[in-house]
Amino acid sequence: MKTRIAIRRALGIGGIAVATVVAGTVFARAPFTEAELQQQMDTLYGVIQTGYDLWHGSEPSMTSNGLACANCHPDTAASNPQTFPKYQTMYGKVVPWQEMVNWCIENPQLGERLSPESDQMTAMKAYAMYLHRGLPIEPGLASEQTAAVPVAFGTGFKREPTGLGVDTREYTPERR
Amino acid sequence: MSEVNKSRRDFLAFSGKAGVATLVAQAAGINLGIVDVVKAEAGGKVDPFRFAIISDAHLYSMDNHKFDQQLIDAVNKVNSMNPKPDFVLFGGDVAQNGTEDQLVKGAEILAKLEMPMKIIPGEHDWYLDMGEAWRGLFGDETWSFNHKGVHFIGLNSILVEDFWTPAGLSPKERMTVMEMLESPIPGPWGVHEKQLEWLAKDVKDLPPSTPIVVFTHSPLWDYYPRWNFQTSDAPEIREILSKFDNVMSYHGHVHQTLYNRIGNMSSVAAMSTSWPWPYPPVELAYPETRMNRADPSIATDGQGVQLINLSENFEGLVEYKPFEDSLTPFMQDGFKV
Ligand SMILES: [Fe+2]
Ligand SMILES: [Fe+2]
Repeated sequence: MKTRIAIRRALGIGGIAVATVVAGTVFARAPFTEAELQQQMDTLYGVIQTGYDLWHGSEPSMTSNGLACANCHPDTAASNPQTFPKYQTMYGKVVPWQEMVNWCIENPQLGERLSPESDQMTAMKAYAMYLHRGLPIEPGLASEQTAAVPVAFGTGFKREPTGLGVDTREYTPERR
Repeated sequence: MSEVNKSRRDFLAFSGKAGVATLVAQAAGINLGIVDVVKAEAGGKVDPFRFAIISDAHLYSMDNHKFDQQLIDAVNKVNSMNPKPDFVLFGGDVAQNGTEDQLVKGAEILAKLEMPMKIIPGEHDWYLDMGEAWRGLFGDETWSFNHKGVHFIGLNSILVEDFWTPAGLSPKERMTVMEMLESPIPGPWGVHEKQLEWLAKDVKDLPPSTPIVVFTHSPLWDYYPRWNFQTSDAPEIREILSKFDNVMSYHGHVHQTLYNRIGNMSSVAAMSTSWPWPYPPVELAYPETRMNRADPSIATDGQGVQLINLSENFEGLVEYKPFEDSLTPFMQDGFKV
């Protein structure tokens, strides 16, 4: 709770009301400083950007036929991260989202699976989860495609030019 | 106008049936067939015929890529139609990366069609060399012709303002930017001024009763601009074509079944031969034209070709012919309402 409020503060929402709540809360330890929170968010954004690149084909070992996750899942649509773990017919059991990503890497993409614990998999999950932020967690939802949070343009997160999906426009993600 | 309303009622009346058929298909775990009927005001102008649409092959450069076979399957599917379509429209995105070898491979596979083909470009065909190889293989991207009483128009709808020169991008970088559906850089596509002028001139002397079919890569309505499921100057196109009793727009790019109607223009999307796209977070006016969620473990699910039958009243019967050959005969054959 403390962290979430602090992040909201760092993101500039809630204004004075939030500040008052924070001031009136007894902390077991001092809250993160603004600088610390900024640094944490920047690190997260960096990982999301790595996930975005991987999703769009930056890791050659993930494909041998040229297909990337983004071919079929623009904006991570219909990757449904908030519905996992769930039963998948191709496995005949309940699997986590990372396993479904590996299924796509090995089958439609004919690539080499990633370790579910790898930084690369974490980055892709960070990207997918970020684009599905705020959507209800519904484990097991299998029959419906869900779509990411729509953004007007840009990527929905801060993006440094890298040559792959360069974001040249100013974009501020909507914040709740 | 009353006929347009009637056609909408007919469609909605039909869609009740479609809903049932789709539910049955869903229960059986099979694919979708949607049939759409569009009525025109004036009658007796068209010598009835059928044409097919193949779209979005997205061929890669490597040999024996699965998408090669999927395009070959589409060509075979159209060739085996009985009676044969008079011609085929290809809806753009022959290639994935716009390279000449990919376009040549596509042209060679499409040359196996046993009927003539007309084609317009997709963004994947274009932005490596700004259409040079494409034009060399397929000719002009802006065209019109008359066939058995119907005026067909093809437009290049994937044009964007120059974002690459100021950014100093190489042709390959420009292509990479355009390959991403959700790319934030290029902004909305359109047909731009020159083609609008061409279109106005092309239809200037045609009487309002002329049956019109307009063919583009992207839809001529604002479906989901973030993925360029739109054409920025579609309002201008619709305005130029507003004098006609009935306009049918067919398009590629969205890789899914889809129908919409604005004013005198009905709009029908083509399935791809490569991969299906999820529906964006947009409410559809005709949600019954959504296909079922594609099963990723069936590599060709949610893909296929389409067949359009035009009656003498310029009445269209649109049949989706998915690769997974699992529709009931009722849905396969199509029907009139
Ligand atoms: Fe396409
Ligand atoms: Fe396209």
